[in-house]
Amino acid sequence: MANLSEELEPSFMHEVANTPRGKGVLTCIQCGRCSSSCPIARLVDEHNPRRLMEMIILGSRDEVLHTKLPWYCLSCFTCLDRCPQGGDVAEVMFAIRNLAVKEGNVADGFAAQGRSLVETGRIVNPTMMMIKKREKLGLSKGPSTATEEVQKILKKTALDKLIASKRTVKK
Amino acid sequence: MKYAMFWGCLIPAREPNYEVSVRKVMPAFGIELVEMEGTSCCAPFGIQSLDYTSWLALAARNLCIGEEMGLDIVTLCNDCYESLLMVNKMLKADPELKNQVNEILAEVGKEYKGKVDVKNMVDVLYDDVGIEKIKDAVKNPFTGLKVATQPGCHLTKPRRIHFGEREFDVLDELVRATGAETIDYDRRQSCCGGPLRGINDELARDVARMKLISMKNVGAECIVTVCPFCFLELDMSQLEIKRHFKEEYNLPVLHFAELLRMAMGMKLDDWEIKLHRVPLNPLLEGRLQEG
Repeated sequence: MANLSEELEPSFMHEVANTPRGKGVLTCIQCGRCSSSCPIARLVDEHNPRRLMEMIILGSRDEVLHTKLPWYCLSCFTCLDRCPQGGDVAEVMFAIRNLAVKEGNVADGFAAQGRSLVETGRIVNPTMMMIKKREKLGLSKGPSTATEEVQKILKKTALDKLIASKRTVKK
Repeated sequence: MKYAMFWGCLIPAREPNYEVSVRKVMPAFGIELVEMEGTSCCAPFGIQSLDYTSWLALAARNLCIGEEMGLDIVTLCNDCYESLLMVNKMLKADPELKNQVNEILAEVGKEYKGKVDVKNMVDVLYDDVGIEKIKDAVKNPFTGLKVATQPGCHLTKPRRIHFGEREFDVLDELVRATGAETIDYDRRQSCCGGPLRGINDELARDVARMKLISMKNVGAECIVTVCPFCFLELDMSQLEIKRHFKEEYNLPVLHFAELLRMAMGMKLDDWEIKLHRVPLNPLLEGRLQEG
């Protein structure tokens, strides 16, 4: 439930709806089908997609964007397929993640993926041992990568700066 | 048939056993896989979580390479598939979005035109090759082997961008073409937990455990998947679960391409067998050697 002592920002729902992939929040009727479909909600209390949508609708901006709440979703899209409103909960999750990242809230693992992408053009690269093994098998060292082109694109989209701005997250 | 082959990051780096099997199996059915030069990360959900525009631009850039080759793109990894498929559909449907993306791509001298389609290997095997031809190619059928299939979320969901429920049945039909039995289990459509690796490892393990329990309950003997993330998660988490919960599931995990390759009479090498943490030995020593 939203923390009522916190200052609510009623415009937050529209901020989310106007963020790419976020417009589904406008159709949420709080039925809870997303939460009952969610494999993570079954295991941890903190993650409850229906409650998260409620917090967005009520305007708990600070609690949604500055805690770990955006970072539990598996992106399995089960909730999206089952939402009777076409509310796209799993898509809304990307919208609030993008907003959280802009304010310095990034899960470590995703920040690491971003750094690897900026440095190498890929999020996973073969180790030296794997490269040797691949060559022994007559395979290429790995797929050829246009690292410089990726870096140019990410400079244009400012992803490089975005992940450099990571700040500490509340509990 | 000729396709532009998008290998992705994870398979060449961590699962060359998958790559090698695909390179052996597909040409046997007359499918030519042409290498794509100068690709990059597809921008899966982790990168999409960071920034929307970077996702569209990187995925579109990869699509441009297929367009330049004049070939439809085939993916192996579920996340590459989902990312490229989604962006291809979005840009084809929205000229304004396409223009925005092309402004970014102009930086690297590329232009997305929307001329190719994105497919998954499963669809190529099912639609282009066909079940009958696959059955004909099987020399060592896995008769009676009880397989729990794991198509993986991003092969099948969201339904509106995929073929609805078709993919679940397609993978099962392909597995049955090797002579094996496929068994239904209650968490068949559920996630493997893999997306939370490196983010929240304990939670990822617990999601995988629910899936393994569900498979074991109906008497599965092994797991067959097409997703490299599901492969790693379901294979490696069994070791963690053994340590943490003192539970043993002993469910070897195979890529579908490996299963098909073995059924076609091409043995796996020792180094490939070793890349499966849950030992394949009972499978290999039992049914396979009989054939």
